[in-house]
Amino acid sequence: MSDAFVRVDGLHRSFDVSRPWLERTLSGRPRETLKAVDGVSFAIRRGETFAIVGESGSGKSTLARMVVGLLTPTAGDVVIDGVSMTGRADRSRRKELRRRIQMIFQDPFASLDPRWRAGPIIAEPIRAFGLADAREADRQAADLLRRVGLDPADARKYPHEFSGGQRQRIAIARALAPKAEFLVCDEPTSALDVSVQAQILNLMRDLQDALGLTYLLISHNLAVVRHMATTIGVMYLGRLVEVGPARTLFAEPRHPYTRMLLDAVPDLAMTGRRRMAVLGDAPNPIDPPAGCAFHPRCSLATDRCRAQAPALRDGVACHLVD
Amino acid sequence: MTSGPVLSVRDLKVEFASRRGVLRALDGVSFDIGRGEVLGLVGESGAGKSLTGAAVIGLLEPPGRIVSGEVRLLGERIDALPERQMRAVRGRRIAMVFQDPLTSLNPLYTVGQQIEQTILAHLPVSRREARRRAIDLLKEVGIQGAERRADAYPHEFSGGMRQRVVLALALCAEPDLVIADEPTTALDVSVQAQIIALIRKLCLERGMAVMLITHDMGVIAETADRVAVMYAGRIVETGPVAALVGAPLHPYARGLMAAIPRLDGDRERLAQIPGAMPRLQDLPRGCAFCPRCPENFAHCHVERPELVTRGEHRVACFLYGDGLADRAGDDGAAPAPEMDGAPGEAVP
Repeated sequence: MSDAFVRVDGLHRSFDVSRPWLERTLSGRPRETLKAVDGVSFAIRRGETFAIVGESGSGKSTLARMVVGLLTPTAGDVVIDGVSMTGRADRSRRKELRRRIQMIFQDPFASLDPRWRAGPIIAEPIRAFGLADAREADRQAADLLRRVGLDPADARKYPHEFSGGQRQRIAIARALAPKAEFLVCDEPTSALDVSVQAQILNLMRDLQDALGLTYLLISHNLAVVRHMATTIGVMYLGRLVEVGPARTLFAEPRHPYTRMLLDAVPDLAMTGRRRMAVLGDAPNPIDPPAGCAFHPRCSLATDRCRAQAPALRDGVACHLVD
Repeated sequence: MTSGPVLSVRDLKVEFASRRGVLRALDGVSFDIGRGEVLGLVGESGAGKSLTGAAVIGLLEPPGRIVSGEVRLLGERIDALPERQMRAVRGRRIAMVFQDPLTSLNPLYTVGQQIEQTILAHLPVSRREARRRAIDLLKEVGIQGAERRADAYPHEFSGGMRQRVVLALALCAEPDLVIADEPTTALDVSVQAQIIALIRKLCLERGMAVMLITHDMGVIAETADRVAVMYAGRIVETGPVAALVGAPLHPYARGLMAAIPRLDGDRERLAQIPGAMPRLQDLPRGCAFCPRCPENFAHCHVERPELVTRGEHRVACFLYGDGLADRAGDDGAAPAPEMDGAPGEAVP
């Protein structure tokens, strides 16, 4: 994978969730850590969409925040276009790289400053990175508004004057403003209605085709992921359990968890397929089960699964597939 | 009367008085739900589906109020009951399940206490009997080790388990009707399937009527017997679930179905409905969907379509009005006076 634009290498992140020191000392309880992301590696080629799908608590948002640099990894590295995001070297190159990586958040009501007008919101990154003077930045903001399907006259409006879908368009315009090449999108359409979701997904695809953007898409919605991604990674309790091309992954799922997720998706075609009710809930990530983290919910689990965690080999982390 | 529908809503209109004038949030909503039947009320945010639920159970926030129409529970009118009498209906005969189970439960009481208190509030039973029933209910909604778990607090349950507790709470007084407002939206897919199966099972076993409010067509397809699609405060199409999900008629319902990404779909473009739902203060004068509708024609701008029967469907769209010309002739006299004050409408 030498042609990878983004390379994520053995990424770990744990959080200290211990009780306060005094309580711990009095009750004799040990420190507790939550491994949110536990050794995740993947690569994204330029112009492609890599999607991470998983349920709440699987660590997918933590992963996204580490990739854009909002969180420091406990271990591991993110290398974008040959520049390490964690190493001590490359400080100046890393700063230049930051312009090229932008993020789109789930809630467009929270990610736009309510006291700023749309124009300045979009122009801010252009000025912050010193890419143009104020006049030119405003002109570019108007172009960007048109590009995301809004009216340049909307630049004078405040966020509350826009609908949810329009706000997400503004967030996309802001992300594109510093000529970003790599967008990390964390649940970009989860807060939107279906008909508006379709508009935003189509816009994201059009922009990708026109500008050659690379996306890391985080979502819990399997159909959205299937629709957008070239490659999909399925996450469970901080680890990737299966990675593969979008075309084949959902058609021929190999990991029991991927199969379970697919079975749980509502049947819109009404073929009469009964939705397979899933056993139990995801386990507590502070105290994950030994061996394969999925074994308590897996109908195929063996003694080996209970003792030894499977490694991701050939795109799947499951003892039964070997 | 008991052989009739459990809930019958007729021509319900809800208005909000605001500084900019009166906003009509529900405009002539009618539907029935029978015993053991799940009616799915589907629509996007702002369509009025949650408001319909709130109006039925008498929880409209002022200045919202029912201005006309009827809500009947087992034949008896409940839309104009005094608050004291309505409180005897709410919880006892109509129960409600909300989206977020954490906010519907009191964090300071064990789930057992909350269920017992609810039973004691509605039914003339002893404490001991209430406790026994609470544990039975927890068992019924599928909570393992119910005797032990009854003494646990809400934060000790996972999201899916909490929603089960909320369902148990709703069932306490053996209601005739359960209104479930987005009961699975806050849950993961894998857990969503469990809760949907549970709602279906309870509805069949107990013969309750269920009004399921959701934006998710997938949930509707699996749970509902009949569906009503809402848009801008009106029902635009109703029908049996298979007919409506399989072959929707109204352009909005069709657009909604086509906009959903499919698992088997390859990377082709999604069909999209342009624009967004109009705000209540600037509803168009004709069909509310007309500005976004790819198939609109002149008549859609001037008159609001009523629901007409078309096969198994009832649909409010002039594309399906049999003999539109006759209808326009009949109604021609009525809307004419209103047309004076409406500027900017091109009526060829």
